Amino acid sequence: MTIFTIDEVKKTFTNGEVEEQVLKGVNLALQEGEVTALVGASGSGKSTILTIAAGLQRATEGDILFEGKSLTKMSQEQIRKIRASEFGFVFQSAHLVPFLTVEEQLLLMLNVSESKMKKREQKEEVEKILKLVEMNHRKDAYPASLSGGEKQRVAIARAIIHKPKMLFADEPTASLDSKRSKDVMTLIRDLTKTLNITTLMVTHDEEMLPYADHIITMRDGLIV
Amino acid sequence: MTIAWKEMKKSKTKFVILGSIIFLVSFLTFIISGLSNGLSQDNAALIKDLPAGQFYMSSDANETYNLSRINETVQKNELKKQKDATAFSIQMGFVNDAGDKQHSVAFVTSTDSKLFEKVGQGEVVLDRSLEEEGIKVGDTLTNNQFSGEFKVKGFVDQKKYSHAPVAYVNVENYKEIYRVNEMQLLFIPGQAKAQAITGLQSFSNKQFLNAIPSYNAEQMSLNMIVWFLVVISGMLFAIFFYMMNVQKIGLYGILKAIGVKTSSLFVMMWSQMLFITVIALGLSIALSQGFTMIAPKGMPFSLTVETTLQLSVIFIIIGFLGATLSGLQIKKVEPLQAIQQGEV
Repeated sequence: MTIFTIDEVKKTFTNGEVEEQVLKGVNLALQEGEVTALVGASGSGKSTILTIAAGLQRATEGDILFEGKSLTKMSQEQIRKIRASEFGFVFQSAHLVPFLTVEEQLLLMLNVSESKMKKREQKEEVEKILKLVEMNHRKDAYPASLSGGEKQRVAIARAIIHKPKMLFADEPTASLDSKRSKDVMTLIRDLTKTLNITTLMVTHDEEMLPYADHIITMRDGLIV
Repeated sequence: MTIAWKEMKKSKTKFVILGSIIFLVSFLTFIISGLSNGLSQDNAALIKDLPAGQFYMSSDANETYNLSRINETVQKNELKKQKDATAFSIQMGFVNDAGDKQHSVAFVTSTDSKLFEKVGQGEVVLDRSLEEEGIKVGDTLTNNQFSGEFKVKGFVDQKKYSHAPVAYVNVENYKEIYRVNEMQLLFIPGQAKAQAITGLQSFSNKQFLNAIPSYNAEQMSLNMIVWFLVVISGMLFAIFFYMMNVQKIGLYGILKAIGVKTSSLFVMMWSQMLFITVIALGLSIALSQGFTMIAPKGMPFSLTVETTLQLSVIFIIIGFLGATLSGLQIKKVEPLQAIQQGEV
């Protein structure tokens, strides 16, 4: 079932008097519970379409439909609410909050998503997810004391703790070695399947492609 | 609020440094303001301590009280009409103590009034600063224009004029010293609106203070010093809070990206600003008040609760504006843009 549709999305960046069209009309439909990988050369527009789809920046033209509702017609506050409760993100670098422990990062996400869980239930949920990403033993650690792979695992845990319907991952293995990359991808794929999350992922690493259900290639701002 | 507190707890050094700067700048402002108020008080405590009312000097004095002479008949009539009214004069002079040491004083004399010290002929009441110079009750003082001697009757606190201690003398003795018969000024306390008195010009307390040439010039300089300091300190406050938040734009980008409300980000910025400012101000208020106790004797220093509160409120408002300004900038940027800016 299609849960997310990208319809003729265009994006133009203006730098002084120079205008650059990065996306020239992208169309894409994502199926519920599946992992879709976006691949393409650097500058092809894959990260731009991912961040527009995730509501982190606006499209210049076109429409984005999530469960039939148009994101482009929504106010900033409506998009924020969707980002907080329905979307999860994993960035290229983990982008954890530096002054929060691993456990606090996840509790913050639960609070932001306005989870109806009680404090005790929230703690239990955090423990459960941390076990899932094998980070329970580091729950009191601050990001500065974590390795790159550990940080990325925490970022994934933060992205799924509130049980989002969509997961957006922008080169989640870029800063990891080959073994760690495979671990992280296995984790993303397993979680997607277990929690029925729809995942859109950008990668340039061909070794990661077997973990995706669909592979979409982009070139010069278009899907080919 | 929780995030704000957790950040401060984790980044103690950063916030302690920021708080120290706020403390030092506000402490400097309080001390300079205290010194300036002290100088102002030292210059005109005699007049400043009088209740609100109207001062009158002769119209032909060209707004210079030294040249003013109140007509005796007019004075008599007004003192009869206004129960609390008083006529008084001030002249700079000096007294010599038993060791023939000269002390500068401002001689003050007045008609019977609760507002001025009542002294008999041959008596003098002095500002307490002269006690610190070794003069005691019962000592005999002289003045080369006065045929008799002054016996020190007592001391009063904080009565200065033109940076000199006040010496209250009897009207008759004053007339002999300065070879005059008329008083310089008429003061009617409690009179909000001036009444027309033939041959006299009226002044409110503030107008009268400004008519004292030395006071007016000095006050202008002192006010400029204090206000420049307040404006510059305020700008520093605002810039610090602005920079502190703009520097964290990447962090705010992450928080925005995961869906934290912009209002929560504002609460975070304001609560950190308020926490740092209140502690820094509290510390500088305590230290500047403590300075009153350890300041060298005779150093003019006066920091009233009113001035302290006024300055504190100004600093908090400016800090709030600085934090809000950075908040507005963070509100405007899209989460992705904020994250990317933070990475630069």
